[in-house]
Amino acid sequence: MKTRGRSAERLADEELMPLIGEKDAAAFEVFYDRHGGVAYSLAYRIVGERAAAEDVTQEAFVSIWRSGGRYDRARGSVRSWTLGIVRNRAIDLLRSRSGRAPKLGFDDETALEQRPSGDFTDEEALRHETAEEVRGALGELPGEQSKVIELAYFGGFSQAEIAEMLSVPLGTVKGRMRLGLEKIRGRLAEGVA
Amino acid sequence: MNEREHAGRRDELAPYLLGALEPGEVAALEQHLAGCEECRAELAWLRPAAQMLPEAVERVEAPAELRTRIMGEVEADVSRRSRRDRRGLFGGLQRWTDGRRLAAGLAAVLVVAAGVAGYAISGGGSEGNTITVAAGHAPGVTAKMVREGDSGTLRLANVHQLPSNEVLQAWVRRGKQIESAKTLFVPNRDGTATAVIDHMQGVNTVMVTAEPRGGSAHPTSAPIVAVGVPQ
Repeated sequence: MKTRGRSAERLADEELMPLIGEKDAAAFEVFYDRHGGVAYSLAYRIVGERAAAEDVTQEAFVSIWRSGGRYDRARGSVRSWTLGIVRNRAIDLLRSRSGRAPKLGFDDETALEQRPSGDFTDEEALRHETAEEVRGALGELPGEQSKVIELAYFGGFSQAEIAEMLSVPLGTVKGRMRLGLEKIRGRLAEGVA
Repeated sequence: MNEREHAGRRDELAPYLLGALEPGEVAALEQHLAGCEECRAELAWLRPAAQMLPEAVERVEAPAELRTRIMGEVEADVSRRSRRDRRGLFGGLQRWTDGRRLAAGLAAVLVVAAGVAGYAISGGGSEGNTITVAAGHAPGVTAKMVREGDSGTLRLANVHQLPSNEVLQAWVRRGKQIESAKTLFVPNRDGTATAVIDHMQGVNTVMVTAEPRGGSAHPTSAPIVAVGVPQ
């Protein structure tokens, strides 16, 4: 049974996915409206160009539409699953570009700018709040920890590549990643408590 | 596995979550995770930190055209699926005889060079259903239309990118009457564009014009392409 857009809007992400698997365009439209913005932002953050970010986002969403209900709850929320797909495609694009270094901008404070305030649903407000926690945690990390996290997650570099780039032992890179993620996780836990 | 090996694998949990392991390292770690409850628990604890990283990026507004393009592909898929279902219902009435021809004269394939000042049907070809239409403006733009039953899919190529406040709008002409096909779309980055036209009964021409975002009640610009539809 196909939904109308308005009724699909009331469904949770996990309820939308089976409908998308049944090729319900209205359900997919709601899904895109919920996650398309952050997906495009993530793609842009990684590839650094609007045109390429559009292509990455389009490929990722059309792939999700065509692959139907492949979402697996065990892999996390629909949103994180979606953003994982976007991130992987963006990193693939970065890697496929020969002779061009990824845009990283470690010292770019704008990367942590706050989103302008506006109307938020409860869920969106919670995400906004959590995003603030993560931004705060990232901003408080020692530079050496935030750098390895950025190089890996947004730059698509392997731990071995990062060790070579920074001229530090591989174990040091692993340790910095671990410490950085633990601090972010701790901050999230405080926010929830 | 001894304690040292276990510690080594545990140190790779953060690189794993950040996508910083090579494929071989991923396989080895996942094998370890399958048998190590302690590492699985630690992974589950750390995972939200990595999953929240994309939420922290600066928000940039996605262009409206991106949504239109994505939903255009979705709607085209739905329409194709719907036509396949209909073909299934009517069994052998409509069937591809090969990759290039529709059976029994129930479909028409049109290859079109763009035109405004008038288009000319240049021949049906050996298959009888393939018609080439060519004319003046919008040089380089080509179109291929596949009609199946009461609907058709128009595929354009080499279409120039539009300003952000414009979309492509499809129109149909029945006799002397021109009506909106209620189809708005935008070209993909590679210059291709696809529109699905429903209710093709009695349509003798399909046209596409550039219109303000949201579409128009009547064409406000010259068509970039006009496709003659055989009856």
